[in-house]
Amino acid sequence: MRVGIPKGLLYCKYHPFFRTFFQNLGAEVIESEETNQEIMNLGVKVCVDEACLPVKVYHGHVATLKDQCDLLVIPRIMGIYTQEYICPKFCGLPEMVAHSIPGLPEITKVPLYMHNQKEMHKWCLATGLKITPSKEKIRNAFQHAIRAQCNLETGILEPGKKMTVMLAGHPYLINDTFLNMGIVKKLRAKDIGLVTEEFASSKACGLQLKKLIKKPFWTFHRRLYGAAAAFYEQQKVNGIIYLSSFACGLDSVIIDLIRCHVGEFPMLVLKLDEHTGEAGIDTRLEAFVDMLERREQNENYNTTFGECLYRSQNPL
Amino acid sequence: MKITIPHLGNVYIAVKILFDSLGLDYVIPPLNNREALLWGSKYSPEEICLPFKLMIGNYLAGIHEGADTVLLVGSCGPCRFGEYCELQMKILQQLGHKIDFIVLDPVKSIGLCELLHRMHRVGAYSKKTRMRKLQSLFMAYKAMTLLDDIEKEAHWRAGFEKKPGECKRLLNQCRNAVYSCNDPEKALALLQEYLETIQKIPVSPERNPIKISIIGEIYTVIEPFTNLYIEDVLMDMGISTSRHLTPSWWVKDMLLKTMRLNSRELLKASDEYLPLYIGGHARECIGEAVLAAEEGMDGAIQIFPMGCMPEIVSKAILPSISRQKNLPILTLVVDEMTGEAGYMTRIEAFTDLLERRRGHVYIGS
Repeated sequence: MRVGIPKGLLYCKYHPFFRTFFQNLGAEVIESEETNQEIMNLGVKVCVDEACLPVKVYHGHVATLKDQCDLLVIPRIMGIYTQEYICPKFCGLPEMVAHSIPGLPEITKVPLYMHNQKEMHKWCLATGLKITPSKEKIRNAFQHAIRAQCNLETGILEPGKKMTVMLAGHPYLINDTFLNMGIVKKLRAKDIGLVTEEFASSKACGLQLKKLIKKPFWTFHRRLYGAAAAFYEQQKVNGIIYLSSFACGLDSVIIDLIRCHVGEFPMLVLKLDEHTGEAGIDTRLEAFVDMLERREQNENYNTTFGECLYRSQNPL
Repeated sequence: MKITIPHLGNVYIAVKILFDSLGLDYVIPPLNNREALLWGSKYSPEEICLPFKLMIGNYLAGIHEGADTVLLVGSCGPCRFGEYCELQMKILQQLGHKIDFIVLDPVKSIGLCELLHRMHRVGAYSKKTRMRKLQSLFMAYKAMTLLDDIEKEAHWRAGFEKKPGECKRLLNQCRNAVYSCNDPEKALALLQEYLETIQKIPVSPERNPIKISIIGEIYTVIEPFTNLYIEDVLMDMGISTSRHLTPSWWVKDMLLKTMRLNSRELLKASDEYLPLYIGGHARECIGEAVLAAEEGMDGAIQIFPMGCMPEIVSKAILPSISRQKNLPILTLVVDEMTGEAGYMTRIEAFTDLLERRRGHVYIGS
């Protein structure tokens, strides 16, 4: 049996798990290509217009895979931690795909709760039974998959010579070099150090989250806001670059909460959609880096000609 | 303490009855208008959904009239609505307003104790007896139910009425009369009276008007300003509309959810297309579309604010329902930039289509 795994959305975080699990079940695993123009165009064509870029691209991955496999793995990830969600679109992903793309093979529709191994095993059992009748084999494959997943390390940590910025954003934007137009390479070329949310200690994050009035219920919210606020408080970074896709519901809240917290601290928000031009990204990155450099050199030496119109304290 | 609330359809009338009965000091901000939208979009995050922006506009208007506390209901995910209070508090703080938020979250997430505690924060200011406070809550709920019933009757009877415009006139008259009445008991009696009057509007049962079901995101379907008064427009066209999501439905849904007894019929209808709860009211939207087809409605109109995550999922599913159940569905996405002309053109074209589907116009004629 051939099992197709689309390389979109949270694939970048959990690919060892899915790949190892299905390989150990004796299935042939077929993955889609890295995101490219063709996949994006296909996704934009079939997906509902209002969806965000990563979801559209995911549709593209599914569309390229659909004729090559007998079972498509479209994980309906309901949550990664208890009492937390990811995004409503993840919960309805199999339906979105199934009703947008005609001629699909069988797809996985069972909800996947990643809270603990027991819940994950439930998903594996329900999905694995489509491939093999042996529950023993599924259990073995599951153990292997968990082990492979635990070995995976994600996130980017590159100390820079001059300064470090936090690269914030959803993992599927940070890890997809086509969608973010190689932003990591671009910053590396400018000698800027990078750190992503994975490298903020959960203790420091927790401290920041306690200041919020309401406990965040999105995993991305908790991680991104916590990490950005922690890095800012610890003065570990010189600025924040936030990669976000247009019309992302979560980001509309997270970005503004971070902004409220950090105030005048340098923060660049890059909005990505299927029309984004690379020149615009380059210009904004350059301007941001220039600004950071000048800020380092001339701090406290800025002329404050006239009063700042809106903000009384820091003219920067 | 001076309490204010954000607007949602006719909720302000029920809330007024509640506060009047409790003897609290309150401000009802002016009904949603361009100004609320203007100030709201100015101070809100760019990409947040429309209800957020209008609510900010409501608060600012309330604060202008001296309010210092906001009473708001909440949720705990996965839709953005749950994060409203956090962000709204911060925005108002940054604007230099000292304002207190009382957020009534669902029992499931904060526990009954905390919910009662938060309700007590409002109730503590009332000098009435505990019995009277409970009574006030029931009165407000009853008023909401009556208002929803009146609206439902008016929207449905608009297609059958003998004298065009009668339903709409009565509905507006009812809202004004009840709102200007400061005695809660009298207001309830008035509502009862209006319900009876509206049920007696002369109709011609032989008429067979176009019937449209209004589905979609709860705020934009209930709040007439956001959907450019679509129900009034359809009433003027002599079209009967039905809508399942109402404020009183929401209250009932919230209460029954703890026992998983909420809207069985809708959820059962949605099982085939969306078997899981994904936040917001996406499942309800799907269920309503299926029910609309089964109840013999001519079409359905889905309305949601730009960027609404759960409704995007349901929008992806609706074309399948439309094909399989033979039900035309029009989707309207609204935000602060919605232009009236384009919007009305689409509604007119859609109603034309529904009329022609009935065979009034023959192919080639």
